Amino acid sequence: MSSYVDREWFYYLKGRNIHLYKLLGGSSSERITQSGVIKTLDRELMYPNEDIANGLRIEYTALNEPFVSEALETTTVVASGITISFNDDGDSASGYNDLYDTGDGLADFTTGDKIRVQGSASNDGDYTLTADAGGARYIQVGTGNFTDEAAGERVTITQIPAEDSSPDETSHPNLNRMLSLACVDYLKAQIADKRGDLQLKEYYMREFWKKVGDNESNKRKISMTYPANPYAVR
Amino acid sequence: MTILEMMERAGTTETSLSIAWIKDAIHLIQSNSKERLKVSKYDVINAVDSDDNRYLLPADMIALDSVSIKDTSDSKYKKIRRLTSQPGYMVEDTSP
Repeated sequence: MSSYVDREWFYYLKGRNIHLYKLLGGSSSERITQSGVIKTLDRELMYPNEDIANGLRIEYTALNEPFVSEALETTTVVASGITISFNDDGDSASGYNDLYDTGDGLADFTTGDKIRVQGSASNDGDYTLTADAGGARYIQVGTGNFTDEAAGERVTITQIPAEDSSPDETSHPNLNRMLSLACVDYLKAQIADKRGDLQLKEYYMREFWKKVGDNESNKRKISMTYPANPYAVR
Repeated sequence: MTILEMMERAGTTETSLSIAWIKDAIHLIQSNSKERLKVSKYDVINAVDSDDNRYLLPADMIALDSVSIKDTSDSKYKKIRRLTSQPGYMVEDTSP
């Protein structure tokens, strides 16, 4: 059993590989035997000595789903409640999996929407809606996706952008409006570069990075206050 | 904002080239800020020889954000620390 992994496991990056190590004298192995013999030095490492299913989790940025079929700003539909149940091949239509809400909160979802289910006991995940024939009462996804689950858990269903795998002029970049405007500056920079106008290219690249920076700082609003001087002109 | 709208703002009519440039821009954004994160999980294997502790970084990775290991005592992923230099000597635990 792995425990205290945050203190006893380490990784090292080498080329395109990640190497895993763990402390030899960690909590899963004894450093000193009962006869008092020191088995390991303090910081001695070893290779992982156990199997852990899905044990290594790597979080990273990637060029995944660069284009979507709907603007990010309009994918705002959310439904939440304890009245949502899941039916595997339910009775509304054969060959479909249904998501029921007796609270009738599913009216804004439409066919083709991609949704993320959170909070359920066994149906968390991303799905694409194949029908919304039931109006506010139920929505459907392809067969084989859900497992039966009665209402009771506080389930949240959030619309997320649906990927456009073959983008054309009607597609949207999977970015908010600020970053989309940054991309416009990037396009202008590349067009200027193509024309050989390097000064203009540099100008638009600065504008690009400025908007990317603005987008980041918009997430981290910091307010600063200063004490007013007693003789300050107000 | 549609690609067409972006092309009109930039003053170009080349759709394929614009799509390629927008992908480049998204790549740059993802390289410098964590706009959208992706997660990959691998099985940790009991190392029995010298290359069993090596795992390939995801092929589509642009920038690494964090590495975690599942703590089986409470089934939670916990971030682990990066070694700045490769251990020079190491005990290879061939019969754990």
